[in-house]
Amino acid sequence: MVDPRTASRLAFQSLFLFLVLLILFLRLLPLSMLPDPWPLPAAMVAHMPDWLYPLSWPGPDFLLCLTIVWVLRRPDFMPVLVVAAVFLLEDLLTMRPPGLWALIVLIGTEFLRKRENATRDLPFAWEWLMAAAVMGGMVLVYRFTHALFIIPQVTFGPAALQLLATVAVYPLVALALQVAFGLRRAAPGEIDVFGQRL
Amino acid sequence: MARDRNSDMDYRGPVRRVLVAVLALVLGLLFLVWRIDSPRVERFRNAFIDRVVPSMDWAMAPVTQLAGMIDSFQAYTRIYEQNQELRRELQQMKAWKEAAVQLEQQNAKLLAQNQVRLDPKLTSVSGVVMADSGSPFRQSVLLNVGARDGIVDGWAAMDGLGLVGRISGVAQNSARLLLLTDASSRIPVTIQPSGQKAMLSGDNSAAPPLEFLESPEQVRPDDRVISSGDGGVFPAGILVGTVVQTKDKRFRVRLAADYDRLDFVRVLRSHPSEQIGGAGALIAPPGQPPERGLTYQLPQAAEGGGDG
Repeated sequence: MVDPRTASRLAFQSLFLFLVLLILFLRLLPLSMLPDPWPLPAAMVAHMPDWLYPLSWPGPDFLLCLTIVWVLRRPDFMPVLVVAAVFLLEDLLTMRPPGLWALIVLIGTEFLRKRENATRDLPFAWEWLMAAAVMGGMVLVYRFTHALFIIPQVTFGPAALQLLATVAVYPLVALALQVAFGLRRAAPGEIDVFGQRL
Repeated sequence: MARDRNSDMDYRGPVRRVLVAVLALVLGLLFLVWRIDSPRVERFRNAFIDRVVPSMDWAMAPVTQLAGMIDSFQAYTRIYEQNQELRRELQQMKAWKEAAVQLEQQNAKLLAQNQVRLDPKLTSVSGVVMADSGSPFRQSVLLNVGARDGIVDGWAAMDGLGLVGRISGVAQNSARLLLLTDASSRIPVTIQPSGQKAMLSGDNSAAPPLEFLESPEQVRPDDRVISSGDGGVFPAGILVGTVVQTKDKRFRVRLAADYDRLDFVRVLRSHPSEQIGGAGALIAPPGQPPERGLTYQLPQAAEGGGDG
């Protein structure tokens, strides 16, 4: 007989892995090799300033967003080994320097995991702000390391656009996970159905 | 139970900390190894992708098909406009066809006069696009041909019409094709009819800019851009696209290859161009063996010297 708590934890872990694989799968689909167009009407794109013209729309980094939402809501359902494995896989598949982004995400999620308990009673805006700050810091460290090791990297514009998109999509991802799978923040001092503190 | 859990935590805390530290160390070391010995790790990465991605093919193929069908269905909804457009284009094409037939005849005559033998080595391997790069900042695709099919790093690839990119990274059963739109792609090109040389450097946008143009005033929008073969790495004379001018007066290239639907590509077998190593040596008179120590860089000259 499997302990129900273990069962629910396993269920949430496999749900996370399934969502991660789904995101990677969709990104690898060879649908169009054109850089993604701006999700705006054509008339607006035509009147965009010149310095924006060559930038294509990078879109949000759903994988990072999903991980941060998960860590801030149910850190006990997200073993550190899974975080490292998932982002190392992404590093390998998407031709990034292997290990660097995985390491940065590992440190970022550990940072958030430590503070999850203390920030439970804060409103959602604080959670969002904290997530945005950590994601911004992670991108900065990533870019700084690239510069330090003299690795060619994306120009600042697209990277900043991607960060903005990821921050903007954070509440939507949080809401979707809460509605669809019941992944919500624990109230301060909340206990689960088995009488244990979360 | 709460105490139980607490003692559990007491035990797990330090172990967890050690685990995090070890993981961080491993990831950091992997990055450092990659930075120090990039080719070896890249080979590992290629082999890894070679193992993982083709096994996802059974799932990818139907989804890609379905997306293509939805695309085609959306095209049905504007079939009238498309029909008009096609008629207009057909009219233009007829004029071009006439011109092409005349040119073909002229070309055949000239070739016959010259007795030109076209390079039989310029053959190609066709491959199918298996997967995208998976990142918005990397414009590359994975092909289902690799070292098994004799693919070599640096070869050019084109679709039916124009240049698509070059091979960068070969595994046993797959190869990575770096598209012209990637930020690290640099291709030497010639702009016709002015004959200007330039560099086509990708920047993650759909229309890569032309750089290092000597006299931009000679370039007009709609000029043809072809690969120039400068540097000897890339085959010359492959159509790349046409010039467009943006609002900020920079020249960009509208690519001829259909990047929106890239499924089959042809990888051109290119061979390193022959290098002339020396200025040639003395041709010895008949009957006398050539002096020792002389190196004959040109085989024809050596044979001529030996036989004649």
